[in-house]
Amino acid sequence: MKKKQIYIFIFSLFTINFIVGQETTNKEIDSIVVKKKLINIDKLSIGVDLYKPIYSSINNDDLSYELITSLRIFEDFSIASEIGSLDRYIEDENVNFTSTGEYIKFGFDYNLFNNWTGMDNSIYLGMRFATSSFNNKIDSYTLRNPDSYWSNNVSDNYETINHSNQSANWIELLVGIKVETINNIYLGISLRLNRLLSNTTPYNFNNLYIPGFNKVTDDNSWGSGFNYTLTYSLPLNFNKKASKK
Amino acid sequence: MILRSIKLILLFFLIISCEKDDICLEGSLNTNRVSIGFINMEYQDTTSINLRNIRGLNNDSIIHTNIGGKKLRLPLNISSNKTGYILDYNDIVDTLSINYKAIHQYIDRGCGFISNFIIDKSSENLNNLEGWIKEVSIAKDSIFNEEKTNLYIHF
Repeated sequence: MKKKQIYIFIFSLFTINFIVGQETTNKEIDSIVVKKKLINIDKLSIGVDLYKPIYSSINNDDLSYELITSLRIFEDFSIASEIGSLDRYIEDENVNFTSTGEYIKFGFDYNLFNNWTGMDNSIYLGMRFATSSFNNKIDSYTLRNPDSYWSNNVSDNYETINHSNQSANWIELLVGIKVETINNIYLGISLRLNRLLSNTTPYNFNNLYIPGFNKVTDDNSWGSGFNYTLTYSLPLNFNKKASKK
Repeated sequence: MILRSIKLILLFFLIISCEKDDICLEGSLNTNRVSIGFINMEYQDTTSINLRNIRGLNNDSIIHTNIGGKKLRLPLNISSNKTGYILDYNDIVDTLSINYKAIHQYIDRGCGFISNFIIDKSSENLNNLEGWIKEVSIAKDSIFNEEKTNLYIHF
């Protein structure tokens, strides 16, 4: 037992050395890379989110979609945006409602991954400013009542209202990966952490869901999201010599 | 550097996903029942009464509530503006009908909606001629708690 732990300890020391060693070798390679022009617009990516249309069609909602574009302007830096439209029936703890709306996200991606020559994959960090305009229509709810002699389900009167013209703004921090699967076609996933900046409050209700932001919790302005992306990359060879390594 | 920053972000996601659920705490606002008191016509004073059973109008099951006492608390139908009760007192049956306005109020995600009621003063609370209820008077028309007596049944 003791021996085993000692071995594990010794092995862990090696792994640390290994990681440190790798970083130093990377740095050596970095120093060899030839310095490039600062602004180098060479790639336009357009794509879609794969998850939202599939989810909406499985759940018989209207088609939801998200269009993705990004334009690489420096070597590791792209400006990026997502435009989406969403329709989703949400069964919450007490209230069932339909959330519909559009959103725009705009920001940048910064690539951290050093590719081998000829490859173009990325692990990136990004940031977005996002805004959404949406409606939340209450379909039915269960009233909080300790006495259940009469039914406490409300489905077509009282507060079953369409709360329209709602809006919200938020910031997203994201981490994602993108892998070139076929020539110029990339598959990717990104995880997003959202921080709500502003949100309208409808009369006698709260926006429990915001298209693009996802679930909103009480007393907490953080949210999360993700997307699976399929993108096509259009090389823009303004400067043929600089575009290829 | 890359690994560390990604690990950090994933850790942050983990922490965020561990946030508390929106639960409805005990003691939060709740839907209240209507409180009914009894006045004996002979002595002109509030009194306790022993009802045999109480049913809702158009509902076959018996309402389970504290029957023998000074105060009777009955659930109102939250998706109607009228609730009738069949009160059995010494095998004489009488119907009490309460007209009101149900106002549904949003609390939060955990609790959802509750209902408050305002009893309609203009509406007469009906009773059979041969029943035991002589008269019904409204003492407090708004139902926001169960402490105050809203109605008095005179018998």
